Amino acid sequence: MKNRRFLSGLYLVLVALFLYLPIGTLMVLSFNSGKSMSSWQGFSLKWYQEMFSNQEIMHALGNTFTIALWSASIATVIGVLACIALNRMNERKRSFFLGLNNIPMLNADIVTGISIMMMFIMFGISLNYGTVLFSHITFCIPYVILSVMPKFRQLQNMTYEAALDLGATPVYAFFKIVLPDLMPGILSGFMLSFTMSVDDFVITHFTRGAGIDTLSTLIYSQLKVGVRPTMYAISTVIFIIVLLILVVSNVLTSDKVKKKKKDDYKVSARFTGKRLFASTAVFVILMGLCVYYTVSVGKTDSGSSTVYVYNFGDYIDPDLVSEFEEETGYSVVMDYFDTNEEMYPVIKNKTADYDVICASDYMIEKMIGENLLEPIDFRNVPNAEYLTSGIRSVVEDFDPGMKYCIPHTWGTYGIAYNKSLIDDETLRLMESGEISWKILWDKKYEGQIVMTNSLREAYMVAAEILGYSINTTDEKQVSEMTDLLIEQKPLVYAYANDNCRDLMIGGSAALGVITSGDVLYARDANSDIGYAVPVEGTEVWTDCWAVPASVGNREGAYAWLDFLLSEEAAEKNFEYIQYAIPNTQLPDFSGDPVLSPSESVLAKCETLKNLGTEGDDLYSRYWKKAKDNK
Amino acid sequence: MALIELVDLRKSYDGEVVLDEFSLSIRENEFITLLGPSGCGKTTTLRILGGFTVPDSGKVLFQGEDITNLAPNKRNINTVFQKYALFPHMNIAENIAFGLKISGKSQSYINDKIKYALALVNLKGYEQRSIDSLSGGQQQRIAIARAIVNEPKVLLLDEPLGALDLKLRQEMQYELMRLKNELGITFLYVTHDQEEALTMSDKVVVMNRGYIQQVGTPEQIYNEPENAFVADFIGDSNIADGIMLEDYYVEICGRVFKCIDAGFGKNRPVDVVIRPEDIVIGRPGEGILDGVVTSTVFIGMHYEMCIEAGGFEWVAQNTVRHPEGEHVSISVIPDNIQIMNKPQSEDEEAISLEEVLGEEGEQG
Repeated sequence: MKNRRFLSGLYLVLVALFLYLPIGTLMVLSFNSGKSMSSWQGFSLKWYQEMFSNQEIMHALGNTFTIALWSASIATVIGVLACIALNRMNERKRSFFLGLNNIPMLNADIVTGISIMMMFIMFGISLNYGTVLFSHITFCIPYVILSVMPKFRQLQNMTYEAALDLGATPVYAFFKIVLPDLMPGILSGFMLSFTMSVDDFVITHFTRGAGIDTLSTLIYSQLKVGVRPTMYAISTVIFIIVLLILVVSNVLTSDKVKKKKKDDYKVSARFTGKRLFASTAVFVILMGLCVYYTVSVGKTDSGSSTVYVYNFGDYIDPDLVSEFEEETGYSVVMDYFDTNEEMYPVIKNKTADYDVICASDYMIEKMIGENLLEPIDFRNVPNAEYLTSGIRSVVEDFDPGMKYCIPHTWGTYGIAYNKSLIDDETLRLMESGEISWKILWDKKYEGQIVMTNSLREAYMVAAEILGYSINTTDEKQVSEMTDLLIEQKPLVYAYANDNCRDLMIGGSAALGVITSGDVLYARDANSDIGYAVPVEGTEVWTDCWAVPASVGNREGAYAWLDFLLSEEAAEKNFEYIQYAIPNTQLPDFSGDPVLSPSESVLAKCETLKNLGTEGDDLYSRYWKKAKDNK
Repeated sequence: MALIELVDLRKSYDGEVVLDEFSLSIRENEFITLLGPSGCGKTTTLRILGGFTVPDSGKVLFQGEDITNLAPNKRNINTVFQKYALFPHMNIAENIAFGLKISGKSQSYINDKIKYALALVNLKGYEQRSIDSLSGGQQQRIAIARAIVNEPKVLLLDEPLGALDLKLRQEMQYELMRLKNELGITFLYVTHDQEEALTMSDKVVVMNRGYIQQVGTPEQIYNEPENAFVADFIGDSNIADGIMLEDYYVEICGRVFKCIDAGFGKNRPVDVVIRPEDIVIGRPGEGILDGVVTSTVFIGMHYEMCIEAGGFEWVAQNTVRHPEGEHVSISVIPDNIQIMNKPQSEDEEAISLEEVLGEEGEQG
């Protein structure tokens, strides 16, 4: 007996742990003074402070809650009106329309989001605050109907008729008699809508326009480099707000039960008289603030004094944005994306209009081919003269004559090594730059090699060894490279992308394929780590700024480009992102294989090119074969 | 002049006629009851009068004025609903004050009225109570109070006692009659309970399938049903085949009975209605028909017996018990024999009802 009680208690504890441990961890970490995800470094409110002083976050917070309040209110009104109509229908018609109402709820969010986005694009509506609001109203209405309709069905039609009978006009009877009865349902519909709106990521993601971020999309876009503890703080805040709303709505809707008790009349009177007036007043004030906020959003977002920038997440020192604003008088709206593939459809479909975008080499090439970019008038970007000659030759590969883009950062792929884990001969070859990619196939490093898990980079390594172009689409060559990759498999400790650097830092591996951008970070953490570009050559990558053909504020875009090429901006960015920045005003890094590959190395480098659908399919097929091979 | 005049009302839902050629005249200060089985159209009639349903055709005249299309809130008529329809989020005082507030009465007037109305329905001091704390009978009385404070010319009551238990129902019947007398307004009452109808009403309207079957005082309805439906619906009765030999003489089961009816012609087949309590049981040979008791059941107050006599099974009620198998005779005094025209076929039943309706319309 005792045993059973213990087991059931244990079970309960386990369930609770599964449910709440994750969010609990997050909440605790939000008060951690360090950035670490694993160790407690003391209590601190600094992430909350940072959160509240961060304009971007506050802006997103404002958007989130005004959109939630607007959409919940509008959806509630529409939903209640719909319920009135549904209630009047005969059984058959009503169940038909209720069915129609339920289908969107069963629909996957992603389908809803994409379809709403497509609709906006088809009708030529550019995405903005309003489109997000519209889509939120759309997905909230069914929930309102779902929670109000049962109250309507419970409603005795008699009370409405009784009110008419006693001389009330239909409108008076509705507000005085019907509405108070419906109120719990309406409130829970409103609360549900509100939380759904606050929670939503997917639909917002697809329907938001330039500069419109809600908390969820902001957090997502900042995830690219790593979660900052401020995000724990916001997540905690969101969690608590949503929790509060749910508790409040539960308390309100449980009135019905309480009312059954005798003399509990006061509770049921919540929605009448003074209380109704007070809650209406609060609601009106909130809505007023909302209107003010929305109008002010509309104001700041319009006009030619704003530059819309579309950038990889965390790919620029945030201080630079405010410095730029101060210096030029423009205000900047910056949105973030995670991959080139995410950015591309936005520009192609003009779902949002940006003045400047950041994109990788192959994407620049593709977009030039599709006339999505505007040639840059370099007379307006005088600082372009500071671009290094090395980068200019690299750009030739994907933008001949450098007409459409200005490089932001660049880097190579190479081998990261841990001096303490390799033998002297290997170390000598590494340091002299005579090392070959073949070292990754050397049996003496079995189990100490980190191979890249990215398709194109893995084939790049194989192509370099076999002397093929890294952009080959010859099936025989691809097949041959695949065999080579399969041959390497027994030696590989791990296939990894970003966490290669962590494995190297921790000393888990001796050799690893890494991008030069990650080397500085790794070297800071572990001074034994070195980097070499193999003698066969490698892939060089460049992320560039470009101006979309649909640019609205051309002067602003040029001002932005020129500003980022200034000495101060280049330095700050270098310190912040620690990627190589091809600017001659920065200290000369020549000789450092990480930051400044020599001319002879660059001559052997190639840029990845867009292979087209067929090429991609070919590689994917063989890559799968290589990975499946046991 | 009649207070309310319903002229040739007709209403159908989805092609199904629920009310047809319905004409009725209601006088001031009358307690009139619409009686009939469910689906007979009585509630529809009430809703048309209250303004909740618009008839397909026909007119509703209120003091000579056509109010057929007038909204319910503009009529000087109030309704007591079947399920009380009290406002659950208001207390009793607020419920009662609802109509008065709308008509813009002063607060002191309203307070007086609430007190008066609560006293009238024997619920003094209940002002601040919540609806849920009341029993069904109390809720019903509040519903009545809420309606009457508006001083309507007519109070419509839609099976107001249907949800109450027998004892409470009987109490409320007397309560309603008392109220009606004190208030001096017209009550239009709807019920399917014949006992209720006969107890309270000045005038009963028996309805079936959308048609009026008979209009009359409770005594007329009970003692002189105009057709088999009314006879059957109002209390138990023996409906036997008979032949009207000539005025005041009817042949039943091969024996001649004296009666008080005339004008049916000679040798005409008729329906004869005899109430169970009107059958006089005597010793064999002393009555008109001899028979055997086939069953005896005590049903409270009296015994109900089946007597097989003359090839017909008679239901008789008597305070004296006659055991099963006893040979008895039966007789009926002329006053208690009710003669009705016999419908020639089932179709004719409906036609004959329409004739009845037509006559009633003319009378009104």
